[in-house]
Amino acid sequence: MKPPSWIGVERRPALPPWLVFAISMGAIVSALIAAGIFFQAYGVSPFRAYGDIIRGALGSKLGITETIRRAIPLLLIGVGLTVAFRALFWNIGAEGQLLMGAVTATGIALFSGLPGPMLLPAMFVGGFLGGAAWGVIPAALKAKLGINDVITTLMLNYVAIYVVDWLIHGPWKGTAMRGFAYTDPFPAAAILPTIAGTRVHWPTLLIGLLAAVVFFILVRRTRVGFEIRVVGENPHAARFSGISQVKITILAMLISGGLAGMAGVGEVAGIHHMLLGPANVALGYGYTAIIVAWLARRNPLAVILTAFVFAVIMRGGDVIKVSLGLPFQLVNVFNGLILFFLIGSEILMRYRIRIGRRTTA
Amino acid sequence: MKQKRMYPKPRTKEVKVLKRSVLMLSVLALVIAGGLAMVAAEYVPGTPLKVGFVYVGPIGDLGWTNAHDKARLIAEATFPWLETVYVESVAEGQEGPVIDDMIQQLGCDVILTTSFGFMDGTLAAALRHPDVIFGHCSGFKRAPNMMNYMADFYQIYYLNGLMAGALTKTGKVAYVGAFPIPEVKRHMGAYAVGVREILPDAEIHASWIYEWFSPTAAKEATEALIAAGCDVFAFTEDSPTVCQVAAESGLPSFGHYSPMYAFSPDYIVSGQIAHWEAIYLDFFAKIYAGVFTAQNIQDLDYWWLLQEKAVEIGADPGMFINPVFEDALKAVMHEDPILGTISVYDLVMARYAQMADPSMVYDPFNGPIYDRLGTLRVPEGLRLSVFELTTMEWAVDGIVGPWPGEPE
Amino acid sequence: MSWESWVIATLSRTLAYGTPLLLATLGEIYAERSGVLNLGVEGMMIIGAYAAFSVAYATGNPWLGIGAGAIAGGAFSLIHAFACITLRANQVVSGLALTMLGLGLSGVLGRGLEGFPLFSSLRGVTVPGLHRIPILGPILFEGQNLLVYIAIVLAVLLWFVLYKTRIGISIRAVGEDPATADSLGVHVARVRYLCVLVGGVLAGVAGGYLSVAYRPAWTEGMTAGMGWIVIALTIFAFWNPLLGLFGAYFFAALFHLSFRLQAWLAPELLKMMPYALAIVVLILVSRGTLQKRMGAPSALTIPYTRGED
Repeated sequence: MKPPSWIGVERRPALPPWLVFAISMGAIVSALIAAGIFFQAYGVSPFRAYGDIIRGALGSKLGITETIRRAIPLLLIGVGLTVAFRALFWNIGAEGQLLMGAVTATGIALFSGLPGPMLLPAMFVGGFLGGAAWGVIPAALKAKLGINDVITTLMLNYVAIYVVDWLIHGPWKGTAMRGFAYTDPFPAAAILPTIAGTRVHWPTLLIGLLAAVVFFILVRRTRVGFEIRVVGENPHAARFSGISQVKITILAMLISGGLAGMAGVGEVAGIHHMLLGPANVALGYGYTAIIVAWLARRNPLAVILTAFVFAVIMRGGDVIKVSLGLPFQLVNVFNGLILFFLIGSEILMRYRIRIGRRTTA
Repeated sequence: MKQKRMYPKPRTKEVKVLKRSVLMLSVLALVIAGGLAMVAAEYVPGTPLKVGFVYVGPIGDLGWTNAHDKARLIAEATFPWLETVYVESVAEGQEGPVIDDMIQQLGCDVILTTSFGFMDGTLAAALRHPDVIFGHCSGFKRAPNMMNYMADFYQIYYLNGLMAGALTKTGKVAYVGAFPIPEVKRHMGAYAVGVREILPDAEIHASWIYEWFSPTAAKEATEALIAAGCDVFAFTEDSPTVCQVAAESGLPSFGHYSPMYAFSPDYIVSGQIAHWEAIYLDFFAKIYAGVFTAQNIQDLDYWWLLQEKAVEIGADPGMFINPVFEDALKAVMHEDPILGTISVYDLVMARYAQMADPSMVYDPFNGPIYDRLGTLRVPEGLRLSVFELTTMEWAVDGIVGPWPGEPE
Repeated sequence: MSWESWVIATLSRTLAYGTPLLLATLGEIYAERSGVLNLGVEGMMIIGAYAAFSVAYATGNPWLGIGAGAIAGGAFSLIHAFACITLRANQVVSGLALTMLGLGLSGVLGRGLEGFPLFSSLRGVTVPGLHRIPILGPILFEGQNLLVYIAIVLAVLLWFVLYKTRIGISIRAVGEDPATADSLGVHVARVRYLCVLVGGVLAGVAGGYLSVAYRPAWTEGMTAGMGWIVIALTIFAFWNPLLGLFGAYFFAALFHLSFRLQAWLAPELLKMMPYALAIVVLILVSRGTLQKRMGAPSALTIPYTRGED
């Protein structure tokens, strides 16, 4: 059934970034309003809930620092994902890359025998390499054999989860934790310093902020970045201008996997000080970061903002669990709703309904 | 002629700076005052007490967290001066901010964390909040304001094992375990000791599902054990799956943690039920009375068993043994060196009385006990200490199957 | 223990555990064959599980429950269909959102239902006479659920439809080259909607099977990642329903065996198998012509708009 010719859908021209941001924020707010229905169903006033979220995430020292802490892995992984997405590589595997970075860092912390001051830098380098290696595998598979990236990255997530499980139950099981499945705690030199009185492991935060700036410059202003963008936007043109798709794909995933790996280092060296169950290390950061990167429209610098926004949501979810006793599953409903509203808003931004005759044939 | 000023006119810039400083100082003072006000003041005995519970799982599981929550409700109903709050499904490593929120936002005087994995986070929080009282379940680190508590089932598993030994027709019983950690190994060991007391050649088949909660894994593990010839089932898993699966094949089982009678009324024999409220009621009452404070619980370590009524035997509260199985248990006779010829039913009752006795006349891990590699683990005339119980890695002789972490 | 009873027990369990895997995989195969990647399988399955349990519990009729699961899963999948097909949104993000929403909703709604046994569960049936056939009899005809048989029949049926009927050709065409299919008169959006719906319905039935037949009870999160195994299985089966049947049973056998073989094989290794094998399979199939015949549908994850760029 064809629509009448005087109504149609056509692409919008590109919108200015501030408008894009404003519309996205509007979508999130709309989602929160929709979520208000659930609050009401629990007998809680939505406004009370929103108030608690804002206050809990931004209105106290504990709140802000917790929000920042939540933002750190989202920032690191998000920046990496924007690079990967630019090369049109769908990296769903950040969760696994984070875990492999954590594994490498744990190995260095507990077994490398390196002198104290060298431990943390080695752990970050090692974590980068561990995550990068995990990311390069699906990149090579796609570049050389044309295998779908969504699927390989997703599958490797699970392989990584079981690798961690195997390590903490088997060869790396610690002696200090009464037989429970944890590694031994890290030596003091392998523990990241935090801002006094908070849980913000600032070296990882700095690396994240630096990465956002560095990769923004890389993507926008360097030749390599240009090549990445061409591969992503027009693979045909890329091939004809002699850009090696193989090299670019692998490079993009090296960066993305490596940054995710460093997020993993931050978690084990900054928060847990040991390796523990994979679900408790990764906490879904790898998946949430996909949304963070997507929302940032693949702009590494914008990830700083979107990571913060989602950190506020995560922290807000924690807060209302405590202050209002709302079931924790509500946070999932939240995130799902926000995502769908964002998806909807994106369509609004890309297309518009045209009423009247087409101006072009 | 200009009038001479009485005092020099202050320069506007100086005034501005002055005004701004006063403003900042007053804000600072207010913040400090507010901050001080927010800092938890130490609890005053005899006043309303607010306790916060941190759970690792959902209260709807039929296991660990559910039992803690039921105990919380009982405590709240018992003491009019008690108010409780809880947060469920807190991931390990994330308990720190939750605890801080509970103290700052909700004004909790006592925080209880109910998972081993919360240990380091609880300790750090205890050091951060020296005026708040902390209790950590199933752990081993303490502080002047942080105690440990645990209600353990191993005596009950021994009694369940006696019954299993009497009811098995194939000589093979099974235990579906969650993780190969000392807690589960200790329970399996006690179960095995009980089974072997009745049937010295019995095999106790162990299977691990590597999850605290996984109905599908529990189901497949149980089916595999049934196929291997096992016909009585005990387990550690946060759901009644094993009971249901065993019932489908007409096989007896023992419930775990929560009353599971409703899931298998014809085939469930007995089980273990946790009564965390025994500990909670004691702890809260003593805090209210000023006996326990935020300075003197460094050495407080509840290791409560049958005699303290922290645990109960049965698949339903008050139902020690399922009446359906009473006759079967009375029909099997056993020779005991001290009690003489006695039916298993009476033996179970006698042992229960012995263990529930405050002087704990009997302990399942009475020597001599050998592990399955032949090493003597408990010499004759001795028992296992609490430390040995909580760090047990060896397998009691008679246990068959994988045993990760088995010491040589 | 005789090898015979060992085989019987293993295969019998394989059928039981493999059925939800098979049902959901068949659905996802259809969705992906039409070009729409649906990562929301976990969400659809658990919504189906919750709907099926609550209706079966309330009405006392397990089949009504299964039906409710089917409807719930189907309705839920329409969200994804609308987002991906009509709004042409990013399929990966939409699928992830669907999973989150499904897990959250089912957890919130199902809160009061935990801890109640379902007495009106779907019991196994024993086919008189047939169950005496040596070896095959006890495996296939003793104590298996009706849904087991339905799943097997569906696998064959859906294979036939996909490869031997015009509808199937349309579906495959839409998944490989929607522009050409469109020009030949195939209504791309309608086909895709249908296939995603089929995926949702089957995932909902699979979830219902879990909560009404396999382990009759409700607990939040009870699908425990089965949806992600289904996504791996879809690839492992080369998007072919019959291979999906073998794949589902193969994975189910591995899962069951991981408990039997625990004494000799690290359980993490066995748990890793479905995912690692899916990648291995893709590598093996990636060479040249094989890729065309057995690889992923070419238009998978790419939204289609008529006359655009």
